[in-house]
Amino acid sequence: MKTKNTFINSALPRLNGALGKAGLSLVSLAAFIAIGLLPFYAGDEYIIRLGVSCLMYGALAMGFDLSAGFIDVANWGYAALMGLSGYVSALLYANFGLSPWLGLFAGALSATLLGLGIALLTLKMDGLFTALLAWFVGIILMSVVTALPGITRGVLGLSVEPLFDTPWSTPYYYVIFVICLATFITLRIVVKSHFGLAFRALGQDMEAAKYSGVNPVKYRTINFLISCFIAGLCGAFYAHFVGILTPSVMATRNTVQILVIAYIGGRGSIWGPLMAAFIILPVFESLNSMLELKYIIYGIMLIFVMIYYPGGLSSLIDWIKGWFAAKLKDKRTAGRS
Amino acid sequence: MADVFVGAVLRGGMYVLIALGLSLVWGVMKIPNFAHGEFYLIGAYACYFGIKSFGMPATLAVLFAAFTGLVLGAVIEKLTFCQLRKRSKGDWVTNTFLVAAGISFIIQNLAQYLFTANYFGVDKMWGGTRKLAGFTVSTDRLAAFFIAMAALLIFWLFLRKTRIGNAILAVSEHETGAMLMGVQIDRIHTLTFSLSSMLCALAGGALLSFTPAYPTMGLQPLYTAWFVVILVGLGNMEATIVGGFIVGLIEVTATYYLGAAWQNAVSLSVIVLILLFKPAGLFGKKIKV
Repeated sequence: MKTKNTFINSALPRLNGALGKAGLSLVSLAAFIAIGLLPFYAGDEYIIRLGVSCLMYGALAMGFDLSAGFIDVANWGYAALMGLSGYVSALLYANFGLSPWLGLFAGALSATLLGLGIALLTLKMDGLFTALLAWFVGIILMSVVTALPGITRGVLGLSVEPLFDTPWSTPYYYVIFVICLATFITLRIVVKSHFGLAFRALGQDMEAAKYSGVNPVKYRTINFLISCFIAGLCGAFYAHFVGILTPSVMATRNTVQILVIAYIGGRGSIWGPLMAAFIILPVFESLNSMLELKYIIYGIMLIFVMIYYPGGLSSLIDWIKGWFAAKLKDKRTAGRS
Repeated sequence: MADVFVGAVLRGGMYVLIALGLSLVWGVMKIPNFAHGEFYLIGAYACYFGIKSFGMPATLAVLFAAFTGLVLGAVIEKLTFCQLRKRSKGDWVTNTFLVAAGISFIIQNLAQYLFTANYFGVDKMWGGTRKLAGFTVSTDRLAAFFIAMAALLIFWLFLRKTRIGNAILAVSEHETGAMLMGVQIDRIHTLTFSLSSMLCALAGGALLSFTPAYPTMGLQPLYTAWFVVILVGLGNMEATIVGGFIVGLIEVTATYYLGAAWQNAVSLSVIVLILLFKPAGLFGKKIKV
């Protein structure tokens, strides 16, 4: 009994503290181990493919959340950045034989560069301008890709070299698992550092942050570029996983899907959007044969969350945690007296 | 050269109608209305069913489209933005942007669910062609243009000469001040949103013979309306009228000299230039950057 108590009182918090430095906590570590072992206990190929899309949309939604939740910039070109990266990686292989593994990073770099252009033009202004310009750029990129069938094969679809020779999804699952875990850890470390503090300050009140010595353009650009890089990495992975790219990957409705996951998960929490991806995608998987119905429900959920619960799932869970902590405290003080 | 000009004026007139609603909603309610294009879609479907199912004459069908836009605009505002305003704790612009995106997503997919992805169009509404200063212009285009101009004139007189119109302008200038003068803000917001939806639905109905109704038709007018509004400056209503014609001219010229595929690229370059050199828009007040 005594040893158990000392374990709970000293060892656990110390472990938690050590994990905290790596951006993890006991709960998230356990969740990631459970997710990582999925291919072992879910023998079904279908479930593993579903897991791949949960991890991919989870990583995308976390990247989206970095801009939307911290500096209050909704990146409406997110799907377009994804698509650009996919096309760059696929075309680099097709024309210059660049390995798809390097292509992942080349694609992500191209998305980051496009993001830099958008950032330099608009990040000194209100977030609305960034959202609009990113959206415009996305629409135009989509029409350019459609209008150049000689290079991109347009709506016919460009076939993309797969990452592995196997038709099974398990190796892909581990690639996107590593991407997702790395995204999670990086973003958690970034938002806990002084960068995160600057991001939050800029998101809440740009003027006030500016007069406290936070350079708005510099920090907002850094934030935006990290977010774009994640979009690019996932986009290139998506291209090599699915094996065929059409311009529809850049459509606004794809951005809205990411955005719904991010906002329902909860702004500014990073883990909320990841959790939301693992809840929303499996729940609506059965509606994939009726996409319109699925999107209508997405729209209703987005409006509902925005009006009645703008904090999303993460603030709901924070509230539950707070409630339990308060109960526990009551119990302890009652026991002592 | 002159036919480019005629084309630009005819096209620009419709852009003014669409962009004015967007500008009005931003000016009065501070909502970046991402769902504006969907009222164009509603107008087009309403006009189509007015003509095909109820056998209305073209002019009546266009008025029916405008009426549908007016009613649905009011219903949607009451159900969403009105509820959000009661509960909102700051961050109004971002939240309304996302609510509007949700509305747009719902309407688009509902249209696809109900009417499938097929085109619902009519060959002609009024039919025939007219001679105009030496050019042959289709009557449908002329009629659409005159409907747009008449609607703009009536709307402008409504804003300037009636008490309710003045109240809308007052709210757009200073909300708290208007409230202290006895303006009922909630009613004005609903009215503004439904009027803006009406203008857009009117455009959708009047252009039915050129753009048939289909689920994603709202994107192009939405995109163009934002282009107009960014070009002249957010919330500047007088300048929106000029801006609509400027955009019409830019697009028609680009199509004429470079081909239709480059029209969007030219529009984007203009936006980039505006953002670089005059982020507040051509006629905008200086904004803090």
